[in-house]
Amino acid sequence: MPALDFMTVSIIYITAIVILLVGYLTAVSSKDIVRLLIALELMFGAVFMSLIPLFSVLPDPAFGVALLTIFASGGELLVLSAAIVIHDRRKKSILTSSVSIGGDNV
Amino acid sequence: MNVEMLLLVALAGVTALSTLGVLLTKDNFYAAMYMTLTLVMVATIYAFFSIEPVFILIVFVFIGAIGIVTVAIAATYRHGPERQFSVFWAIPIVVTAAVLCYSIYTYVLDVPVYTAFVTLTTHYSLKYSIENFITTEYLLLLLFMISLAVLLMLSVVNIYRSEN
Repeated sequence: MPALDFMTVSIIYITAIVILLVGYLTAVSSKDIVRLLIALELMFGAVFMSLIPLFSVLPDPAFGVALLTIFASGGELLVLSAAIVIHDRRKKSILTSSVSIGGDNV
Repeated sequence: MNVEMLLLVALAGVTALSTLGVLLTKDNFYAAMYMTLTLVMVATIYAFFSIEPVFILIVFVFIGAIGIVTVAIAATYRHGPERQFSVFWAIPIVVTAAVLCYSIYTYVLDVPVYTAFVTLTTHYSLKYSIENFITTEYLLLLLFMISLAVLLMLSVVNIYRSEN
């Protein structure tokens, strides 16, 4: 098991930033609600990744944060999955353009 | 660079490539598969640092439940999405990323605070045991979290029933 030197921490954070940026790009580049769900999961993956260095200094709170993040994000994504199904039932479409409430035009 | 560092770089590289697969593929199903691979690789990096409980949580809870639901939804609504932005936006993104990388690189070389951080983290390795976590406070927190998740699911079931 390697110690967390600067190189290791850099690799972890750079990978987390790459995952987060790709998640953002996927979210803004798609008109599909399923893609938004996938993008959100990627962003949560980046959060999990960025928690690794915290385990080296504060292992127990880090595990608590990881546990909370996993279950909170899991609940949130399940609600979003249900929302997609309900939206499809109402609008017969999963395109974000069919969402008439909320959002903004960029 | 030792073997462990090479392995970590390889894992991080595969993670980044699978993440790019989500962005580049036009099929929702393949995007969900790439996303699952990314999360598996993130969990593998946890296993690399001997944090097995989080590895199990990510693989069994996050991927096993949420990821598979996402793959099923993506397979159901399988079609190529339209893109909202031009590929030419990649040019300023690459320029910004290069400037950021250069700034961080020079910052690391000049500021002694980073050296202190490196010294601090070098003396720690990921010594972790789940026994330290199972205390009354954390169990109470866990109970509240499970209650919140159940409440969320119940509200979804309620919305779903009202739809029918």
